[in-house]
Amino acid sequence: MTHIALQNVSVEFPIYHANARSFKKQLIRLGTGGKLLKSAGNTVTVKALDDLSFELHHGDRVGLIGHNGAGKSTLLRVLSRIYEPSSGQLAIEGKVSPLLDLMFGIEAESTGMENITTRGILLGFTLREIRERAQAIADFTGLGDYLSMPMRTYSSGMRLRLAFGVATSIAPEILILDEVVGAGDANFMDKAKARLNELIDQSSIVVLATHSNEMIAQVCNKVIWLDAGKLRFFGDVATGLAQYYAATHPDAVAAND
Amino acid sequence: MATASSLPSASAIRYPVFTRRQLMLRDLFEGCMAWRVWLLLAWQDIRLRYRRSQLGPFWLTLSMAITVYTMGFLYGHLFHMDLHTYFPYLAAGMLTWNLISLLIVDGTNTFTEAEQFLRQMKLPYSVFVLRVIMRSLIIFAHNVLVIVPLYFVLHIQLSSACLMIIPGLILLSLNAFFFGIVLAIIGARYRDLGQLITSLLQVCFFLTPVMWSPTILPVKYHLLLDFNPFTHFVEILRAPLISTMPSLLSVEVVIGMTCVGILLAAALLTRVRHRIVYWL
Repeated sequence: MTHIALQNVSVEFPIYHANARSFKKQLIRLGTGGKLLKSAGNTVTVKALDDLSFELHHGDRVGLIGHNGAGKSTLLRVLSRIYEPSSGQLAIEGKVSPLLDLMFGIEAESTGMENITTRGILLGFTLREIRERAQAIADFTGLGDYLSMPMRTYSSGMRLRLAFGVATSIAPEILILDEVVGAGDANFMDKAKARLNELIDQSSIVVLATHSNEMIAQVCNKVIWLDAGKLRFFGDVATGLAQYYAATHPDAVAAND
Repeated sequence: MATASSLPSASAIRYPVFTRRQLMLRDLFEGCMAWRVWLLLAWQDIRLRYRRSQLGPFWLTLSMAITVYTMGFLYGHLFHMDLHTYFPYLAAGMLTWNLISLLIVDGTNTFTEAEQFLRQMKLPYSVFVLRVIMRSLIIFAHNVLVIVPLYFVLHIQLSSACLMIIPGLILLSLNAFFFGIVLAIIGARYRDLGQLITSLLQVCFFLTPVMWSPTILPVKYHLLLDFNPFTHFVEILRAPLISTMPSLLSVEVVIGMTCVGILLAAALLTRVRHRIVYWL
């Protein structure tokens, strides 16, 4: 059964002083027993996630809220297995498909079709499986003959169409989304929204970071509120959003009372 | 204030327990299995680099040919060598050195170059090491054409020794894989390693018999050659390229180096694999 479970998960980032990134300076420091270039040994660590514990199960659609720098992206990367926790335990059952950056893996010099192939291979498909899907992706993007042109000749809207079409061409068990909204003409945005909803419907678990409360209210059944790397709230959407709103808009709440 | 109180208290979740060594081995295994990914990335690297040029990667062949032929002519006369033997010796040596230095220089940048991928999706680290090896081998395959005219012009008899190219390339690739992991990790952590390596390689190039033949070095200095691992790495590929058997000592040293590489790579990858992405 698909699930995600975190137990006391923390993530610490090392922030290196420029000297600590230099091999030569490290050699000098070690060679002189630390008498020279003392500072090269110093590194500061930042706790991006602090002691998180929660469980997600089949059918959960979780909205991730919090300020910039609260650790949303870090958590998404932990759930995508990109960052391994510095401490704590993590159990993920199910194939994870992160959609963190739409433009990921897109090469401007390659043609649209080549980019479709590249992304397919990165996702673990064989060439045959890609060929089977390519037509559907091509149809979705509506780019027609442009697919055999290098991506650098595309307008930004066309680029987005292709990236979106390629990125959403798989049905993952666990879908991790980071703020997937962008430019594009209204017609395409409708198509994109429909596609995204379809993708969310097909997934067993969805974790979605967004600043749009509207989208969370529409899609999610749970929210996770992160504040400075700590879990402030985990539970149902209405309560979570209300508490978050109260904390971020103290004046408005006071005025209402 | 409601916090994480909605956690189910008794859960049936089993947390997987893997040792760091198991995770390291899994990285290597899954990396090798993902051959589609590293083949594609390597091929894409080559294609993108030469997409807008008429000759494509054969530019490499051309520039290598110019280097080797002019150097062969000049140094052959400078060292008073017999051009008939010196030309192929130099060409094969330069081709091999070029491959080795490409593997080392690109090897230090493996993870920094792959930052985009490593920060966006979960892929084994070894995939990117294999990508660099594959890319270097493709470039080598283009460069190696430089030596073909010499076989005809100088009437070099091709023998079964040429077949030793295959084990030679395999041994070099194995070393590139294990030492590549070490270099890539250190290169991701210390960003000036690349520059350091580039200048060291320059020195190694002159210390290693590539442009000059060991025969012109007085015998009492030959220890200098035997203790230089590059001598042996060059020898195992250069010898079969000019249709001779590599010396047994060189083969032994290279196999020994492979073992050292395996130990180093395993130890380092076990210790820091889970931290690499935080360094990017």
